[in-house]
Amino acid sequence: MKGIRLESRGEGREVLLENGNALLDGTAHSFREIRRGGSLVALELDGTVVPVRVARQGDRAFVWCAGDVFEVRRPAGRTARARPAGGEPHAGLVAPMPGRIRKTLVQTGEEVAKGQVVVVLEAMKMEHAIRAPQDGVITKLRHREGDLVDAGTVLAEIS
Amino acid sequence: MRTIRRLLVANRGEISVRVLRTARELGIGTVAVFAESDAGGIHVERADRAASLGAGSVAETYLSIPKILEAARSSGADAIHPGYGFLAENADFARAVEAEGLVWVGPPAGAIEAMGDKLRARARMREAGVPVVPGSDAGAKDPADLAREAERLGYPILVKASAGGGGKGMSRVDRPADLRAAVEEAMRIAASAFGDDSVYLEKLLERPRHVEFQVFADQRGNTVHLFERECSVQRRHQKIVEETPSSALSPALRGAMGEAAVEAARAVGYIGAGTIEFLLDTDGRFHFLEANTRLQVEHPITEATLGIDLVRWQLEVARGADLPSDWTEGRLSPRGHAIEMRLYAEDPVDFLPRAGTVLEWIEPAGPGVRVDSGVAAGSEVSLEYDPLLAKIVARGEDRPAAVERALRALDELVVLGVETNRPLLAAVLRSEEFRSGAYDTDLVSRLPREETSPAPPAAWIAAALALSGKAPSGAPAASARDPWESGDRWRPGESAG
Repeated sequence: MKGIRLESRGEGREVLLENGNALLDGTAHSFREIRRGGSLVALELDGTVVPVRVARQGDRAFVWCAGDVFEVRRPAGRTARARPAGGEPHAGLVAPMPGRIRKTLVQTGEEVAKGQVVVVLEAMKMEHAIRAPQDGVITKLRHREGDLVDAGTVLAEIS
Repeated sequence: MRTIRRLLVANRGEISVRVLRTARELGIGTVAVFAESDAGGIHVERADRAASLGAGSVAETYLSIPKILEAARSSGADAIHPGYGFLAENADFARAVEAEGLVWVGPPAGAIEAMGDKLRARARMREAGVPVVPGSDAGAKDPADLAREAERLGYPILVKASAGGGGKGMSRVDRPADLRAAVEEAMRIAASAFGDDSVYLEKLLERPRHVEFQVFADQRGNTVHLFERECSVQRRHQKIVEETPSSALSPALRGAMGEAAVEAARAVGYIGAGTIEFLLDTDGRFHFLEANTRLQVEHPITEATLGIDLVRWQLEVARGADLPSDWTEGRLSPRGHAIEMRLYAEDPVDFLPRAGTVLEWIEPAGPGVRVDSGVAAGSEVSLEYDPLLAKIVARGEDRPAAVERALRALDELVVLGVETNRPLLAAVLRSEEFRSGAYDTDLVSRLPREETSPAPPAAWIAAALALSGKAPSGAPAASARDPWESGDRWRPGESAG
């Protein structure tokens, strides 16, 4: 069987599984899968039982092991966060955290100066002023007051 | 005595389930309410009837008095329990419920108002002889007045919204130059959040402990306290770990604070369950901070050490029953030690809320462990609502046993798909400062920064099994759950990532 390349928390491992043996970057471990109703609930690893739970989502797996949770990915997959075309940073205003748009202080077509507050975002019971990164004209306002937005959402575009 | 045949719980998530459970035990019929986007919420299937509040924002659903009352009419409810949050401390709601001829399971509207305005509450408490944190007597808007007031109190000070609560619209000011900006910011937040831009100043107590007392009163005026809860483990002014008893209280101090809490409740004609919050300064003096006129999030630790059901007595008092003689004659005393951990869907490092789908959810159980949860496998965690996923309560024979039991419970907890503050909770419980019992509200900021450990071999192997496509990708384990949750199981891998 071919090994697969995995990444988690900035580390990589080449994992090869064969006949109850696992090779992790060349280090051998013996293991046995403990399943219930078809689901993996523990691994007996080198003679010690380690409870585990796994949930897969596309190319990544969430693994619970010994109380801690690890997100493990196959680096080959298209798993990177979607970026605007070209991969260039967007000439716009981006929500630094998930929250709710409390106030929009500009209108489409309005000129703004660098540092001017464009949107007020409410998150964690606090208000955060989102400021224009450059002088320019607001070409697009993507959200309305009251909308919930995720971290990284483009809130407005500036040309 | 009034009768309650069918109780509507005007809330969602864990606190709705909590109240519904006791109602069921008392043989009272139950009604859950839900916003359309929350129709899969775990409280919805726990009641005999479920009434929709329609689509829309929280303001148009769980916060809409007309819609809640309409749900009560259409479902034949004759009583309403508000839980905490949402409309729980809204005096207009309390009045509207009673005007509708329904039993209101909460304190009188007048008591909610007296305690809800922080400035009025401070004045009332001073009159009643309860010590308050040094600060202003009246709300002010004039920067010059506020500057003089700040000089009198001495920096650092806190700017607070008169109508505020829960840390909202509150900020620390260390020097006169920063006062004006902080006041303007607080006024703006107060106006938008509470519709009232009055602010006031309080002296900032350095390294305080936050200790609250549970109070309870019946309609005949019997008023008791049910001991304290230590709530000093906070981040961003929000509690994350609570325990009882508090290591900070001597028997004499406990007695004095308990008496002050009872005085505070009597001063406003309190009825039902309430909480009086105090700050304890480094000299061992206590100061009234605020009152919460509702069931508190952390009420289970009081239930655990006293062996009582606070929701049951909320309902009994609302029906007109007297408090049990054990309570009023002082025969109630805590046994053992209880710790509550609040599990939040949030980034463990920057504390920002996280949304997502819960792919796997296994609750800790076993001796001395209680879990009040608001989600299950398959639940959508939305930014729309409070990010509290569950409250995990560990009770032990003594404090060290409770701490070890709490850590054992955290080890058993499985949450996949949504990031949680579990690592922070574990770090608190493992810290020397928490274990010593001598901590204050700055504990979290002083925690040693934990190195994130790399995945252990078992995690790599489990991930390889799931991702190689060779084995079935770890479907949620068939964990023992109660019959309430025997619905369709969400299957991993089917979600559009």
